[in-house]
Amino acid sequence: MIDVAALKAHAKSLLEKGSVRAVIGYRKSTAGLLAEPATIADADATDDLIFDPTCVQNLALYLVNDKKERVHSRSDDKRPIAVVAKGCDSRAITVLLQEKHFPRESVHVIGVSCEGTGVVDARKLAKKLDGKKALSVNFDGSEAFSITTEDGAQSIPAAEVMAERCLECRSAHPTLSDMTFGEAKSERALHAPFQAVKHKMKDEQDNRWAFWARQFDRCLRCYACRSVCPMCYCEECVVDSINFAVLPDTTADEKADRIKWIERSPARSETAMYHMVRAIHLAGRCVDCAECERVCPVNIPLRLLNTRLEMEAFETFEYNPGSDMNAPTLTSSFRDTDPNSFIR
Amino acid sequence: MTKRTGVFVCHCGNNIAATVDVARVAKEMGEVEGVIFSKDYVYMCSDPGQSTMANAIKDNKLDSVVVSCCSPTLHEKTFREVTEDGGELNPYRCEIANIREQCAWVHKDKPKATEKALKITKAAIKRVQNNQSLTPIGVPVTKKVMVIGGGVAGIQAALDLANAGLQVVLVEKSPTLGGNMIKLSETFPTLDCSQCILSPKMVEVSKNKNIKLLTQAEVQDVSGFVGNFKVKVRQKAIFVDPELCKICDDCSKVCPTVVKNEYDENLTARRAIFIPFAQAIPATYTLDESSCLGLNPVVCGKCADVCEVGAINYDMRPKIITEDVGAIVVATGFDLYGKENLGEYGMGKYDNVLDGLQFERLCSASGPTGGHVLRPSDHKEPKNVVFIQCAGSRDPESHCAYCSKICCMYTAKHATLYKHHVPDGQAYVFYIDIRSGGKGYEEFVQRSMERDEVMYLRGRVSKVYEQDGKMVVKGVDTISGKNVQIDADMVVLALAMQPSKGTADVAKTLKIGRDKDGFLAEAHPKLRPVESVTAGIFLAGAAQAPKDIPETVCQASAAASKVIALLSKDELMHSPAIAKVRLSHCTGCEMCVQACPYGAISLTGPGAKASVNDVLCEGCGTCQAVCLRAAIDVKNITQLQIHDMINASLGV
Repeated sequence: MIDVAALKAHAKSLLEKGSVRAVIGYRKSTAGLLAEPATIADADATDDLIFDPTCVQNLALYLVNDKKERVHSRSDDKRPIAVVAKGCDSRAITVLLQEKHFPRESVHVIGVSCEGTGVVDARKLAKKLDGKKALSVNFDGSEAFSITTEDGAQSIPAAEVMAERCLECRSAHPTLSDMTFGEAKSERALHAPFQAVKHKMKDEQDNRWAFWARQFDRCLRCYACRSVCPMCYCEECVVDSINFAVLPDTTADEKADRIKWIERSPARSETAMYHMVRAIHLAGRCVDCAECERVCPVNIPLRLLNTRLEMEAFETFEYNPGSDMNAPTLTSSFRDTDPNSFIR
Repeated sequence: MTKRTGVFVCHCGNNIAATVDVARVAKEMGEVEGVIFSKDYVYMCSDPGQSTMANAIKDNKLDSVVVSCCSPTLHEKTFREVTEDGGELNPYRCEIANIREQCAWVHKDKPKATEKALKITKAAIKRVQNNQSLTPIGVPVTKKVMVIGGGVAGIQAALDLANAGLQVVLVEKSPTLGGNMIKLSETFPTLDCSQCILSPKMVEVSKNKNIKLLTQAEVQDVSGFVGNFKVKVRQKAIFVDPELCKICDDCSKVCPTVVKNEYDENLTARRAIFIPFAQAIPATYTLDESSCLGLNPVVCGKCADVCEVGAINYDMRPKIITEDVGAIVVATGFDLYGKENLGEYGMGKYDNVLDGLQFERLCSASGPTGGHVLRPSDHKEPKNVVFIQCAGSRDPESHCAYCSKICCMYTAKHATLYKHHVPDGQAYVFYIDIRSGGKGYEEFVQRSMERDEVMYLRGRVSKVYEQDGKMVVKGVDTISGKNVQIDADMVVLALAMQPSKGTADVAKTLKIGRDKDGFLAEAHPKLRPVESVTAGIFLAGAAQAPKDIPETVCQASAAASKVIALLSKDELMHSPAIAKVRLSHCTGCEMCVQACPYGAISLTGPGAKASVNDVLCEGCGTCQAVCLRAAIDVKNITQLQIHDMINASLGV
C-alpha cells in the first residue's frame, strides 16, 4: 500500500534542500470528491499532498504549462520541478521528453503506484452509490476501493467504479521516475487492451457514422479536451487562428499565409474535422490518460477516437507511446520490419 | 496582387485528347481568376508547341505557367527550360498538371475524365500562383568515384572510369577481385576460358595508378549527396603484408587449421592462411581470422615462424578508411538461391547433388579435380548426369517468381562441357522452356542437343533421392506425357540467382531502393536503367537483376559513362525546391530530424530549432508530413499552396 506520509516527507525534503523549485501534486479539493492539482513551493505545505483513487488528473499537463509560464517569467531559476506521476502520467512525461519538450534534468518525477486498482470514475461511483455522496475514496488492497459516505465506510470492488481506461491499462506502474512510492503492480488485465474501441468497431459503418454525427453535433467547441491534453502544446492550433503566434520574427508573408483548414463554426463537418485532426495528431503520442473524455462537458466518448489510433500504432507497429524516452517517435521512425511492402 | 497566369493544354496526339475534352479544359481554365492566357495544342513538347509557349509568356508578360500534359518526370524539365530560355521567366514559375498518367490513361468516361482534368489543372494554377522564383544551388564536385564490388561488373566500371582519368576506389568484401566469374570454367556461347578473359582485367586493375583497391573491405556508412559523398569503409586486418609476401606457400604448408574452401564452392579445403587462387589480386596470402587458431604466437604462430620475409604480422588491426567521392557505382553481384531451400532436391544433403557453380569448379582446370568431372562422393566418373533447370526460379508459390535468365544457357553449356569431359556419358536436362535470346545463344543450345546428344526433357522434377549409390530423379516428360525416372550418378541444379547477401545492407547504407525480389531498383526501368533512385549512385551487374557476362559488362560500362558525364562538370546544380523551417512554429521536437531520409535536418541555434542543409535536402516533403506544428514547408509546395490545391480540387 502506498505510504502517503513517505511521499509527503520526500516532497518536503526536496523543497527544504532546495533541489526543486516546486512540487506538482494532488491535494484534497475544496469542491467535490476528486482531488485537485496543486503546485507547492513551500515545504510546510507539503502536508496537504494526498494520493488516493480520486487523483485522476494527468499532472504532465502542468509541466507543459510550467514551461509556458517560464518563457515569460524573468526568473533564471534553473532548478527542476518535481511532479507526482501515476503510470499514465509518467508515460505522458516520457512522450514529452521524446519530443524534447523539456530536458530530462528539468523534471524530478515522483512515481506513484495506483495499486493495481487505478483511479475512480466519479460518474460510475455516483451511480453505484445511488445518490449518496462519497466523502472519500481510498485504496483497499489491489481489488477494491474503500469508500466513505455519511453512512460510514464500505468496500466496493474496484472494477465496478474504476475509470474505463484503467480497466484497459497495460502498464499501470510508472515507466519513468526518479523515486517511486507504492508497490509495482503493472498487470491488471481486467479488460483486454482496446476492448471498448474493438467493440465499437464491430458495429456497421453507417451506424458508427450516425453515432459520431450525433456526438459531433453535441460538441460545443469549448476546447476543454485540447486544454487538458498535455500533448496539445502547439502554439498555433489548426482549428483556430486566434492563438496564431505573432512573434518578432513572424514575417508578413507568414501572416498573409495563415490558412483556415477548419472553420470555427460548430457545424458538424468542421467539428468532425477538429476531432479527427486532433486524434491523428495524437497518434503514437496519446498515453490514454482519458482526461479529454473526463473533462468533456457533454460527455463525448473521445477515448474511442484516440484509442482507435493507438490500437493501430500498437497492432501495426508494436508501438507503445511513452515506453522509452530515447526511442524515436512513431511517425518519424522507419524500421525494416514495418508493414507496407512497397517501402524497401 | 493580380496574377498573370498562362495555361497550356496538350492533346498528346490522342493520348490525352481521346479521353479528355482538351478544348473545354483550355476554355474553362481561361476563365479562372488570374489566368490571362489559355490554349490547347496537339503536341506541346514539339518545337512549334514550345515556341507557342515561349511567345505567349513574353507577349502576355505571364508571371506563372501551367502546362497540362504528361507526368512531370517526363517533360517538367522541357517546359521549365522553355519558360526560362524562351519565356525569360524563372523556371520555378512553371508547374505541370499531369492529365495523362493521372487522368486520361486511367479513365474511360470522357465527360468525367474532363471534369477531373479541369480539377487537376485548376489545382496546379492555384499552386503556381503562389510559387516563388528560385535559383538552383551550385555545389562543387569531387572527381573521384567509389565502386562497390570487385566482380566483373565492378572491375569493368573501375577500369572505364580510371581510363577516363577519374580516381577510383574499388571496394571488395572478399580477399580477391574476380567475384563469381573467376570461378567459372568456360563461358557461353564461345566456350572461352573464364579465368583467361577475366584475369588480364584484374591485373589491369592492380596496375592502374588511378585505382585504389580495398579488398576485405565493406562500406559502413555513407553521408553527403551527389557530387560530395563521404564514405566510411571498414577494412579487415589481413595480417599479411602484400608488399612483402612472395607467394611461396611456405606458410600454408605449416598451418594446422583446415577449413572448407569457398573458392572451390566448398568442394576442397584450404588452410587458415591461404591464397584464394593463383591469379588472385591482390597477389598475396591472407590470414582468415575466423579460422586461425587465435593470432597468438603462444598458441600457434607457425606461419610467422616459417615466413622468410617476415610478411606476417599478427598485430594488424581493422582500419576505418574515409573517402570523399562524387559518385558511387554499386556492383554487389549475386549469390545462388541455396540448395538448402529446395526440399524436393534433398536440401543440400546429398554430395552428388551439385549447384551450377560447383559444377563449374569440377570442369575448371584450376578446380578441385584438376578439370576432370568426377562425382564428389566417390571420385568416379559419372555416366549419367541430370541437369535440372529453374531450380528455385519461376516458382512464385514456394521460391522466386522471376526467371534467372542465365540458367538455360549455362545448363546447355554444362551439358556440352560434360560431354567434352565424358564422351561416353549421357546428359539429361529437365526444363520448362528454353530461353536462349542472344547472339549465338540459340545455335549453342541446338548444338548441345544435336552434336552432344543432350536429352532435353520438358517437365519438372518432383523428387531427387539417393538409393544404392545412385541419385534417383523422378520427373515428368510433358511432351510424351509419361513419368520419367532416371538413376543418375550426379544431379546439377540450375539454382536461381538472387542478390548477394550484402546487397540489402549496402542498399540500406546507401539509401537506394530494392525491388520486390530484393534486387537493386533502377530509377526508370527503360530510360534510366543504370541509375539508382538516389542521385549520384549507379548500378551495375547482377545486383540489379539476373544477367549474363556480356550484359553485365555493358551495364558496367554504361554506369561508368553516366558517372563520367556527371563528374565532367565542375559544379552540380541542386534543386532549390527544398524545405524551409518556420522558426516561430518549431518546438525542436526532432521528429523531422529522425524522419528525414537524407539526414538534411539538424537542431541548431538558440532553443535548438530545426535547420535544413540546403544541398542535402531533396525536397521530398517527409518532414512536412511528420511536423505536427506545420513548422516546416517545402518551397513551392507550402501548406498554403496545398490548401489552395485542395480547395480547387473540391471546387470550393
